[in-house]
Amino acid sequence: MKFAEQLEQIVKNRIEKDSLTLPTLPAVAFKAIELTRTPEFNMQEVASLIERDPVLAAQMLKLCNSVAMATREPCKSISQAVSRLGSKNLRNTLLELSARRLFESHDPKVAATVKALWEHSRAVAQLAQRVAVVSGAADADTAYLAGLLHDVGKPVVATMLLEAESQITQRNPKLWIDFSTWMDVMQRCHRPIGLDLAKKWQLPEEIQKAIEECADYDPANRLSTGNAVRFANAVAKQQGIYAGPVSADDNDALVMVGRSLLNIDDETLTRLSSDLKEKSKEAA
Amino acid sequence: MPRILTVDDSRAIRMIVAKQLQPLGFEIGEAEDGNDGLAKLQSAAYDLVVLDVTMPNLDGPGMLAKMREGGNKTPVLMLTSESKTAIVATVMRLGISDFVLKPFKGDELKAKVLKALKLPADYAAPGGAPVAAAATPVATTAKRVLVIDDMENVHKKVRSLIPAERNLDASLNAADALALCRSNPYGLILIDGDLPDTNLPSLTKQLRLLQPKAVLVAMALRTANNVTGEMRAQGFEDVLFKPFVNEAVDALLERSFQEDQELVSAQENCLKLAGFHGRDDKLEGYFQKLSAKLKEAMSKLAEGCFDSAVLDASQLPLGQPMRAAQFMADLSKVSADCGVALRLVGSAELAAVIGGFEEAKSLRLFQSVEEARAAA
Repeated sequence: MKFAEQLEQIVKNRIEKDSLTLPTLPAVAFKAIELTRTPEFNMQEVASLIERDPVLAAQMLKLCNSVAMATREPCKSISQAVSRLGSKNLRNTLLELSARRLFESHDPKVAATVKALWEHSRAVAQLAQRVAVVSGAADADTAYLAGLLHDVGKPVVATMLLEAESQITQRNPKLWIDFSTWMDVMQRCHRPIGLDLAKKWQLPEEIQKAIEECADYDPANRLSTGNAVRFANAVAKQQGIYAGPVSADDNDALVMVGRSLLNIDDETLTRLSSDLKEKSKEAA
Repeated sequence: MPRILTVDDSRAIRMIVAKQLQPLGFEIGEAEDGNDGLAKLQSAAYDLVVLDVTMPNLDGPGMLAKMREGGNKTPVLMLTSESKTAIVATVMRLGISDFVLKPFKGDELKAKVLKALKLPADYAAPGGAPVAAAATPVATTAKRVLVIDDMENVHKKVRSLIPAERNLDASLNAADALALCRSNPYGLILIDGDLPDTNLPSLTKQLRLLQPKAVLVAMALRTANNVTGEMRAQGFEDVLFKPFVNEAVDALLERSFQEDQELVSAQENCLKLAGFHGRDDKLEGYFQKLSAKLKEAMSKLAEGCFDSAVLDASQLPLGQPMRAAQFMADLSKVSADCGVALRLVGSAELAAVIGGFEEAKSLRLFQSVEEARAAA
């Protein structure tokens, strides 16, 4: 059995035995999201909770004051940010910031790739949101979050492979995971892991569906969140905003079918996607 | 006349395709499967094949492969309910121009057929009307106004302040407004700056995506501090204060519909005057602008060494005959000063206006542009 196949088998065994240690939502984010799900939640209570995680609080202020979300006066406190975002946007922001942490690595071997994956995810999120607005597909904010999280299993697999490599090389120092093997295993294993993570984080069902399968559209539900994400994913890959190999023919076919499925003509697609590269690099 | 072959095992689909494309003046041939399609291509030349994927005997990919193997390079547009990536990628490799997924809208089929045939999007059958601009609402000239406010009285007030011929849609909430924006082109969108349960920056961003050519204006109260700055930060271009003032509404309309403001259009030595669509108290301003524009146009004609021109004045407003006559008298003088003889096109009513004014009598009036041209 080839090394890549052995690694893939290890990952699959762990999925089957349910012995994967999936990343949890940061405790503060988890509690804050839970609170926002209760009717008439207390904004101040949520703000106080978020303030207990200084990194999360700082990231939230930065996001609220970013070009994409800036309004009127700058947001100076978490209370202001929470009140300005409202319950749904607050939940999405907490999920976005929590997911962002998964795409960070101090290991030089994977750091650049997970960063590129995050940029790809941001591009897909932006475009899926715009496609949802223009075509009337699903809810634009849900499409954004689904785009952002569609590859969330990849950094988890990446971390898992680093651990596996460390264990294997202790036994046999000659074995190490070369880059293409690493990408190959990550590509083949990430979907079930991403789906498990989405369930664990109690993400909405539409987002779970968008993570589950990206290969084909669902023609029975043309304007679904999943279809908007699949289309956005293919367009981002076509523009080279991706880390990993892409089958150009299959990807072009996805774009061509998606244009008709979602009724997006050439002019509109150009308008929606002309700044994707730039947007994907904007710091969250 | 372009010839199109529709290959589909469903007679209903072949009929729908023919019904959509025949009004464009295209000749439509039909085939019920791949074998029949190949035979039709053998017996006659076609400019485009509209091809289904799943068919008995010989399917679409099979027919396409045989066409290409035999050196037939006729453009192919796939029209199918098959959306599987692997299958579509296969037919793409064989060479297709575009793809339409069933069920489809007539506009999408027409737009993609015209593109495959390298014809303009506004292509018209010889002697027929141009095809409506396809797919995006923003592709058409935006003439409508949209008001988004949870108070119906605001809708009524805006309606009373804008010219009757200007289309106005109204919506009580953001969701309905977005739905309207997916199907209509707007030049001006007025939004309540305090719309309940709405994240305004998010709404303005979505409206911009749907209506990139529209001017977005917030409707706000005068009493708040730094309203203009706040609303600009939320994505608005301007603010219209409540209660509304006529002049402010007029200025907004003028700014939002600049493309309509071409008062004098010119094609070689044929000029056309635009009509007037405002309130009566704006008519004087219209005549003054029209005189200035016409003077410029006549000077350009003289520069181009045209010694005569046709002026289509059929849209000129005649509700105030004395003012219209005065305009014509001024026009006659400008014509003489520039040395460009004018042949006027207009109604019998315009003839009566001119006839009553000595200074305008020198202008020759015709009933149609063709007649005026022929008199040169």
